[in-house]
Amino acid sequence: MTATRLIGWLRKYEKWFGIVAASLMSVGLYTGLVTSSPDYYQGEVVRIMYVHVPFVQTAMLAYATLFFLSIWYLWKRDAVVDNACHAAAGLALFFTGGGLITGAIWGKPTWNAWWVWDPRLTSFAILFMTLVGYLMLRTFLDDQEKRATFCAILAIIGFIDLPIIHFSVEWWRSLHQPLSVSTRGVSIAPNMLLPFALMSIGVSILFTYMLMVRTQMLYLEHLFEAKQGRFLSEGES
Amino acid sequence: MKSFYIRWAVLLLIFGGIGCMGLIRYNREVKTLSPGDLLASESALGLRLLGMIEAGSFVRASDDEPTRFNLSEEGKKVAVVFSGEDVDDTLRDLKTIVVIGQWNREAGHFAASDLALIPNYGFISGAYLLSLVPLAFFLFFMERRVTILYVMIKEEKIYQAEKVL
Repeated sequence: MTATRLIGWLRKYEKWFGIVAASLMSVGLYTGLVTSSPDYYQGEVVRIMYVHVPFVQTAMLAYATLFFLSIWYLWKRDAVVDNACHAAAGLALFFTGGGLITGAIWGKPTWNAWWVWDPRLTSFAILFMTLVGYLMLRTFLDDQEKRATFCAILAIIGFIDLPIIHFSVEWWRSLHQPLSVSTRGVSIAPNMLLPFALMSIGVSILFTYMLMVRTQMLYLEHLFEAKQGRFLSEGES
Repeated sequence: MKSFYIRWAVLLLIFGGIGCMGLIRYNREVKTLSPGDLLASESALGLRLLGMIEAGSFVRASDDEPTRFNLSEEGKKVAVVFSGEDVDDTLRDLKTIVVIGQWNREAGHFAASDLALIPNYGFISGAYLLSLVPLAFFLFFMERRVTILYVMIKEEKIYQAEKVL
């Protein structure tokens, strides 16, 4: 698939992802903030779950996307795929930061601590630092091909953190609660499950939409910069 | 660009409306009063009173007497007569609690029939604002940038040099 065709395809279909994400999130927020009942133990504070968990899940989805796109880049060496990698990394950092902030806010009333060195929290903080490192590496290297290759290798190595984050609550004795939705079943009350599911799916689709928009943005910016560079060199000659 | 701003205005209205509905629900079903607020308040029914049980004031229910204690906050205190169930032995001296009931102004006590958890709603609004507001700004500026770039392409600002070549 050529870059122009891919960008055209993203431009054509992005709006449907945006509409679905906005619809799911608006119903999810309404049910989460207005109609769902408070938790027996946590009370009203449980409502933080409807933003915290979707942000964390989406951060992991974004990193998994970055991982697969990095493999795709190393295979095809296509510049537009590198743009998509860059876009996915930026979004993964945003959702990871959001997950850490909302988690700290949830931790204070429930654990009486903003932060604990729990396996789940620590492994998630490592993901955040990996993404900061990834984006810093992108600014250090001038050669576009070298930059894309090194960043793709870093993203592939960093992927090892994802299963650690996911299974940390099962592998180690953890303060963080175990998985609420797993192969063993769902341990959330039905009236909490609806906003939880709507927000989780909605934020994931929003990420897809944001990835489509951001990839176009980075591609067009590079195109613009390349053309500007060409004008300058033509002017000098 | 006009359709872009219209789309964002519609989104702002929808999500602002949901925020307002959440605020209405909070005022109706969650918001608590301090003893000072209660003494200054005109309403008397279906109130939620938040405060700390004053040390030495707690008297557990006996055969013919209900549980009694004083709830205090910021130097103001209110006598509470509690007729509900003390779930998990929640009631004790120096414990911060929320009691639900009605204010008996003539008798000078708050007749409570139920207990509630401390809402901690500041944490909820903090989490929502710190996650969704940056998300909206991030998305807005990103979409705006893409729209501007496409407008520039449409106006052939990027491809202008192609005609020269």
